[in-house]
Formats: sequence, structure tokens, C-alpha cells
Amino acid sequence: MAGFTNSSCWSTPEVYKHHEQQKICPSRPKYREGRRPKAVKVYTINLESRYLMLQGVPAIGVMTELIELSALYGAVEEYRVLDEYPAEQFTEVYLIKFQKLTSARAAKRHMDEKSFFGGLLHVCYAPEYETVEDTRLKLQDRRRYVNRTTQNKTKEQDPGDEECKKPMSLNTVATTARTSSGDDQRSSDASNKGETSSTSQGHYLGFPLLPLPPQEFLPYRHAPSYDQLYSYQANQCRTIPTEDKMGSLHNAINTKQQLAPNISSVPSSSGGDRGIVKRLSKNPPLAAPPRFVPRTTHLENRKRKIVETNKDSLFGFVDKNEILIGPKLPDRPKMDMADESLNITANMIRNTLKKVASVPEVKPTEKKTKSAKPRKRI
Amino acid sequence: MSGKGHSATGSDRFEYLQTLVTEFQDTDSDEAKEQVLANLANFAYDPRNLEDLRTLQVTDLFLDMLTEENENFVEFGIGGLCNLSMDRECRDQILQSDAVPLVTGCLSSRREETVLSAITTLMNLTTAASRSQTTDTAVLQCMLRFSISQSPRLHNLASVFLQDCCTEEQVARAEAQMQGHHPTALGIPLPKD
Repeated sequence: MAGFTNSSCWSTPEVYKHHEQQKICPSRPKYREGRRPKAVKVYTINLESRYLMLQGVPAIGVMTELIELSALYGAVEEYRVLDEYPAEQFTEVYLIKFQKLTSARAAKRHMDEKSFFGGLLHVCYAPEYETVEDTRLKLQDRRRYVNRTTQNKTKEQDPGDEECKKPMSLNTVATTARTSSGDDQRSSDASNKGETSSTSQGHYLGFPLLPLPPQEFLPYRHAPSYDQLYSYQANQCRTIPTEDKMGSLHNAINTKQQLAPNISSVPSSSGGDRGIVKRLSKNPPLAAPPRFVPRTTHLENRKRKIVETNKDSLFGFVDKNEILIGPKLPDRPKMDMADESLNITANMIRNTLKKVASVPEVKPTEKKTKSAKPRKRI
Repeated sequence: MSGKGHSATGSDRFEYLQTLVTEFQDTDSDEAKEQVLANLANFAYDPRNLEDLRTLQVTDLFLDMLTEENENFVEFGIGGLCNLSMDRECRDQILQSDAVPLVTGCLSSRREETVLSAITTLMNLTTAASRSQTTDTAVLQCMLRFSISQSPRLHNLASVFLQDCCTEEQVARAEAQMQGHHPTALGIPLPKD
């Protein structure tokens, strides 16, 4: 069944160094120890691949089960036994080609070092099985993804001109270098399309528009506040909490700010304008929309929210007709997340941000001077 | 995997990265340096950290590593640059530091990972302005040799480089200059690995 165009398929495949597991690093100071002990290794796009090699599969006729397990992480295009690869006695080695790199990443993360029918699987990438075209596409996808992600991060407005691109996952931050089992997956940018276009009627009028009521509700709303001058809050924040495979909840956040579309639509290469966008969007204590929100924070938020809503309920009503001067938040009743706890959480966050917005913006400057300390050149 | 790296706010993460950079600068232990360097290079893989890493001028830190004797330093440094250079702004920052000769220097490393990272970095660094540097004759000849290497990763990357970053005329010219030369006489050895 193998469709691999490996010209040397009859020769013994090389055992590459990157197939081997490295020794775990024993000497890390506590502050940068990760959750699991890892070797010292740097991952680049060259090491990753849609092709995975699975070693240590017990030779008891479990190929079907193995492929079924792999397919949980994404579509499998091809697979075969690597008879010619050196294997321990009574084990087999498989090569599996996934349709997407993200699937391979997830599969590796989950299956590496796991028990399978009594054997211990060792899963690694096998980029040497790629064709030139595979490699080219891999690099292009990676570049596109990185630039898209960084653009989304700094561009505050997404005026609907970005169609929903194929979501790509990425390796999340590793505090320690990773061995074979250190990869994460998160879906990002899936939130780009759809809702954001509905509020992009924000024409630049020289002052911030009142945020429109949200039309669709997303699970975890977070509204970072902006420059004190404007002191309004982003209306549209889309977060999709995705549980990354490590178990912590983090959110892909795409925040929209009602700045001039012409400012934010400037291509990223024009540094000056971007500087403006960035400055206006910088937020003192919450400098960037949090991408990771630990579970404990979620729980605390919810608890606080419950307390707050209890407090509010004493009044018994929400004044919809209240006249506010200046930018105002959407009224609570309009904001229906279809989930009580989420509403609570969002409200709490909004209130926190209100408080935050009133704090004078001194911190960023401090931060900048901190980072400008002279670096020793080695 | 995430340990201390996950934080609720961007500023926490920035401070963590800054702590790493500081440790790197202050420590005398090569081992600790390697670990921190690898950490930073892996952080560079995540696009969310790129802005912070730019602010901390980690690009310069990685570039400094390319001329070190310690092969791990070089490998991790060029790996970090490979990750960083995927982003356009980081790419520009790297190019400002006259990086191309340092990167092409890595093409002659004995370590395959180093060479692979260098090729990918060069691809990322190829812009209209830098093209004359990143695709000069010596580099092309090197790539031509790599493109016939036994190592699949090496020949794939080199092939992509030649096809995507150079014109056919450039390649033909470089090839012509190589005619009659024995491959090993060219001076840039193939990585052993």
C-alpha cells in the first residue's frame, strides 16, 4: 500500500540521530524546570513532518488498531510497516503519513512514550521521507502561519478582509527544551471569520464608536482596555477556549478594536503605522490579550463573578435606559452567552478592565526602559 | 512542557523571557547556557513570543552564537534564528545586523541540524535587497552539492532553495563554474552526521 516514492526503498533505511531519544537533562534550576523532564533539544520546522515513525509496536498483529489510534488525531494518508528498519525483537516499526502536520504533532504528543498492547511506543518525526514538494509546502505553511499569527496579534482590527484561513496549530511555549513528547496543539484563527465582519462598520470618525452589541456569543469574552486617551473597550473579543493537550485552558483571542480601518489595514511592513496601532492597543497591566489563562484563574474569576452577580441582584434590575456619557459597555442583558457562568466571568473581566483603564499608563515606559539595558555581547 | 512558561498576562511572559536572557548573560556554566539557549530557541518557535523576543534583542544573542567554538551553541543559535526568521519583522531585524555572512558560514558545519537550519534561515532571509548576498555563487555551489546529497532532508531543502530563491540563470551559472571541479575540492564539506 505504500505510495512512498523513496528511491532507495530496497536499501536499509538509515537510523537518523533525530529518531533516537536523547537523555533527559538533569541539571535545570527550578525556575525553568518544566512539568516533565526533558532533554536539551531545539525544535525547528525541519525536524517536524507529516510523517511519523512509530517504534516499539508489539509484533502481534495490531496494525489496524495502531492506525485507528493514529487516525484519532487526524486523517492518515498512508501507512506501512518498515520491515527494513532495525527494530527490537518482537516489535515492529511503522511509518504513518498524516494529511496535516498538526495531526502528526498531536499524534506524536499523545502516543510517544505510551503503552500500546504491552509495548512502549516511541514516536518521532520522519522528515526524511518527505518529497521536495512536501518540504516546500511545509515551509510555506509554516511561514504563512507565523505571519498570520503575528499580524493578528498586533493588528487590532480585523475588518473582515481576512477570510478564514486553514487553522494551523503550533507548538506552544516550552520552558524547557523538548524531547519527543513536548509538542502542543492549539487551534487558532478559526475565530477570524464570521463575527468580526459584523462589527467592522466602525468607520473612522475620529472618536471611538460605541461598541455594537455582540451578535454571537463566544465562550470566553475578554475585553482588554486600551489607551487611556480613548478609554473605551474593545467590543469584539473572540476567544475560543481550546484545551491544549497539556490540559491547561488557553484561549485563542482575536480582539477587535474600533480604530480606523485604514490604520489597521496597512500592511505589516509599514513600521510607522504599526507603531501607532501597537501603541494604541497596548494595555498597561494586560499588555496583550492573555493567551493562556490557567484553570485556577478561571475558577477564581467564576467565583468572583458569582459574588458580583449576587451583589447586583440586590438591586433587582438592570437599568437599560441609563444614560452614559462616552463609550459605554454593552448592557448586560444584551449580552447573552447562553451560559450563566460565562456571563458572570465576562462581566467580572469587564469590570476589572474598567478599573484597569482608570490606572495611569506608566507601566509600559517602565517596561521599555527595563528592556533597554545594555546587553553584553559575548 | 509549559511549566513556568504559561502565564496569564503578556508581561509575565516577557519577564520570564528576560530572566532567561539575563541568566544566559550572567552564568559561567556552559551547560546552563546551552539549556537557556535551547529554551529561547524553542520559545522562538511560538509566534506569540516573537514580539517579546525582538524587544529583548534575542536575534543578536543568537547571531553571536554562530561564531562560537561550541557546536551546541552554534546549532541552537542557528535553530533559534531559523524559528525567528519565519516572521517578517524578525527577519528584518536579523538582516539589519549584517547576518547573512554569519548564516552562510554555518553551511560548512559538521552537524546536519546546523546546516539544515542555516539553509532554512537563508531562505527566510532572502528578500529583494538581500538576494545578492543570500544567493551568491559560493552559496549556490554549496546548495548544488547538497542537492545531490544522500541525506534526504539536506537534498530536499537545498532543492527547494535552488528552485524558489534563485533564478535558473543563476543556478546555471554557478553550475557552469563547477564543471570540471572535483566535488571535494570546493572546500565546503558535506556534513557528516
